[in-house]
Formats: sequence, structure tokens, C-alpha cells
Amino acid sequence: MALRTERLVARLLFFGGVASVALMLAGLIALEVHAAAGGHAVELPRVAENRQAGRSVDVFVSMPALVRGLRQRPPDPVAIATTGVVVLLLTPVAGLLAALVGFARERDGAYVVISALLIAALLFGFALRLGG
Amino acid sequence: MTDLLFLCWMAAAAAGAGVLGAILGLGGGILLVPILTMFFGVSLPYAMGASIISVIATSCGAAAGHLRSGLANIRLGLFLAADTVAGALIGASLVGVVPERVLELLFGLALAYSAFTTVRQLHVEVPAPAVADPLALRFALSGSYYDQLLARDVEYCATRVRRGAVAMFAAGVLSGLLGIGSGAFKVLAMDHFMRLPMKVSTATSNFMIGITAAASAGVYFGRGDIHPIIATPVAVGVLLGSYGGTRLIVSLRNTTVRKLFLPVVLYLALSMLLRGLGVWH
Repeated sequence: MALRTERLVARLLFFGGVASVALMLAGLIALEVHAAAGGHAVELPRVAENRQAGRSVDVFVSMPALVRGLRQRPPDPVAIATTGVVVLLLTPVAGLLAALVGFARERDGAYVVISALLIAALLFGFALRLGG
Repeated sequence: MTDLLFLCWMAAAAAGAGVLGAILGLGGGILLVPILTMFFGVSLPYAMGASIISVIATSCGAAAGHLRSGLANIRLGLFLAADTVAGALIGASLVGVVPERVLELLFGLALAYSAFTTVRQLHVEVPAPAVADPLALRFALSGSYYDQLLARDVEYCATRVRRGAVAMFAAGVLSGLLGIGSGAFKVLAMDHFMRLPMKVSTATSNFMIGITAAASAGVYFGRGDIHPIIATPVAVGVLLGSYGGTRLIVSLRNTTVRKLFLPVVLYLALSMLLRGLGVWH
């Protein structure tokens, strides 16, 4: 039987995963609708070829660019799907935050420190790579 | 083949990887990368990016189920994840400094030895009780789960914690240095050094792999290797598959999980040794 902290982390990981997948699917559906209306089509071979040929590809590689994509009216479908990717990448961090809260409630100082150190390491890695 | 059908097949393949990943404590990249490149024509950088998505999605789906069933031990996972992340940070800073082929050879030999000991332990369902490690007591690295097949609660406590922590640190160094996943090393360290039940080892590994993958995910994202159109069917399939895998593992014996795990260790040992010898890249 799962304990309180375990239940909290399990719930967060599960809903984080579901929310990210929902956003990715919403982006993919919006892209299909956009393609049907004459926009760019979902064409995987083209995507793969572009990357192999070293051409620019239809992906977002920084948070500021992603925010610009989401601010467009209507929002860029690829930006919506990429938001789902970012939510998925951040879900383990959210799980660690939930663990930290759970251990703090249990007054387990050693694991509060371990959780905090892991969160700091992950956020440092994200900030380093996604800032620009 | 239409694009939609293509994406559905990709999701189905990812679901298979998710089921296996949830049972074996791996991210599924070992299966998914060859499948995406060989059968779906995805270029290697995008397949690697999808692999990172697969690892985190497996971790979310599987850890959620394993934490509820009590198979995954959150304290054990965090204690060992701290060692792995520290090793990964040091490993990443050693790129170009340490001769990679020597390391690959050393790890290949270590894995080959692990495969040998896995064969010897093939019929051990639950490790015999051992003297409690003071570190395990200090950090509460113990627990219990209800085993459906044995129809009883299985209690366990980690032994030889220092050795396990060193193995995790080494796995992290390797992961950071060579850019490979380390799920198999985590399972081996818990199974061999810390003498935990196999299902606890794989379930706890599932919780940990998401944390270590998230540490390097920013690199893949920043390089533009995570394409959302490829990531979407992979994430959907893996999330569903891994959650299903958590239902399946409770009806499996520890010995069955270990038998399923053995080919993975053998494959990794062989590939590491061949890379170290410069035969295979």
C-alpha cells in the first residue's frame, strides 16, 4: 500500500504525463487542420530529410521562441505540441517538488535536502540550455 | 501509407517499448532507437531525441503505477539518483579528457561479469535476509510490497549500500561521458550489490530514469533533436504501454523478470566491449 508522499508523487507523475500527451495531441490535430486548410503538411520523411541535409527544421529550441509561437493568433500548432514536450520534460522536476513537500510534511530532513539538491541540478541544466 | 497510419504504427511500437521498459526498469531507448531508424526512416538525432521522450514518458507512466503498488521505493530512488546525477555532471565535464574506449572496455567487462552473476541468480525469487547496512537504516532504504504470486508481503532492506552508491555514481559518469542511458546499470547495482528483489530494482529504476533523463533532456531540446511530430506518437504509446506494464509486472515472478533482463545485459556487455575494441561504433 502506497504511503502519502508516494501517492502524491505518483499522482503528479501520472497527471504530468497525461497533460503533456494531451497538449502534444492537440498540437498535432491543430497541425492537421492547418494542413487541410492549405498550411504545411505533416510529412515525416521531409522532416527527417531536412535534418539529415542540415537544413533548418520546424522545431523550437528555446523558451523565448516557443512563447512567441504560442502568442501568435492562432497559436502555432508546432508550438502547442512543443509545449507538451516541455511539460513532459519538466514533469520529473514536478515529481521531485512533490517529494520535497511530502518529506517536509514527514519531517524527513535528509530527503528534503536530497530532493532539493536534485531539483537544483535539474533546473540548472534546463536554465543553461533553454534560456537563449 | 498515410501519415496518420504511420504515426499510429509508431505509437504501437512505442507502446511495446513502454511495456518492456516498465517491466525491465529501462527507458525503452535500447529498443526504440533501432526501431525508429530502421523501420520508420527517422534520422538518428531525432530517434535519440525520441528516446529521451520515451525514457521520461516510461518513468511517468511506470513510476506512477509502481509507486501506487509499493514496488518502487521513492527513498531508495532519490538516494541513488543523487549519486547518478553527481556522476553524470562529472562525466559530462570529463568529455575529451578521459579515454572513452578504455572506459567502454572496463564497463563492458563489468557488464559481462554482471551477466555471469545474473545467470547464477536466475532462480533466486527473493534474496535471503542479510545483516542490515547502517546506511540503509540511516536513510530508510527498506520497504515491503505485496507479492500476488507468493500471496504474502515481501520485506526487504538494502545491503552493501556504499558499493551500490559507487556503482550508481560510475553509471552516471558513463552516462554523462558517453551520452548513453544507464537504466540497466541501475537495475544491476540494486540487484547485485544491494540485494533487493528484482521487481523492486526494476520498479525503482523506472522512477530514477526520469530524473536522470531530465538532467540531459535540455541538451537534446536545445539542439533541436526533439521533434514534436515524432515525440507525440512515441509519448502516447510509451505512456500507455508503460502504465500497462505496471499491471503486468505484479503477475510476474522475480525470476521471470530476471530472465527477461538477461538478454539486455548480454547485449549491452557485447556492444560495450565491441565499442571499446573499436570494432563497432
